[in-house]
Amino acid sequence: MTADLVMLTITRIEAHHLADLVGQFVALLDETDASAADPAVARLVPDAYPDDAEAGREFRHATEHELLGRRTADAQRLLSDLTTASALEGDPEPAVEDVVDVALAPDAVRAWLRTLAALRLVIASRLGVDADDDHDHDDPRFAVYDWLGYRLDGLLAAIDGD
Amino acid sequence: MLAHPELDEDLRIDEAVADDPVWQTVVWNDPVNLMSYVVHVFREYFGFSRDEASRRMLAVHHEGHAVVAEGAREQMELHAQAMHDYGLWATVRRAPR
Repeated sequence: MTADLVMLTITRIEAHHLADLVGQFVALLDETDASAADPAVARLVPDAYPDDAEAGREFRHATEHELLGRRTADAQRLLSDLTTASALEGDPEPAVEDVVDVALAPDAVRAWLRTLAALRLVIASRLGVDADDDHDHDDPRFAVYDWLGYRLDGLLAAIDGD
Repeated sequence: MLAHPELDEDLRIDEAVADDPVWQTVVWNDPVNLMSYVVHVFREYFGFSRDEASRRMLAVHHEGHAVVAEGAREQMELHAQAMHDYGLWATVRRAPR
């Protein structure tokens, strides 16, 4: 049974930062039911018919609400996994070497991958990343973006390393 | 009038294609999603081999987009919706003739 679990070892500082980001993400989804209001949320529900406005509207009408609902459910799964692993307990400013193991079942891994990818999309939208080389290394916000990518890539290596 | 059996046959095939257009799900390049993630999505969702998933990912990356499925419109919409769930930018279109 444990063979299916992916063990993610992260520092408690990362866990706190991640929970904070995911909490903001859930709040953003809560307050933005209509995608057009926020370009970052709009990126999560892209236009499926760029050349056919009516078909695009129908597709959006049929899919958007449930899709954003699944985003919220995925994000909450991530928060509950962090809580279950006691990753968010203790000193709010823990020592850098303070690490915690988070055990992820296969369905949790899928929720984590989708949420990490979505957080990157939202942050990229906020940072105005429009091209492959839009990367300002002096902007500290890119450190968060890169860190999410590092964790996403690590999870992928753990499950796709066959 | 003389009927020409072979010509009739050709005509029916053409009509069948016209009545039942082929649709495509297309995934577009974006500067955010990791190559490793896109390969993972193509493998997990479409069941592509690692090589096939990598080939399509590279097509998205280098050519700007790639067709990942062809078939009935409803099915292509389900695929597009699944891609959106993963955070990939997917559209549905009628297959170019």
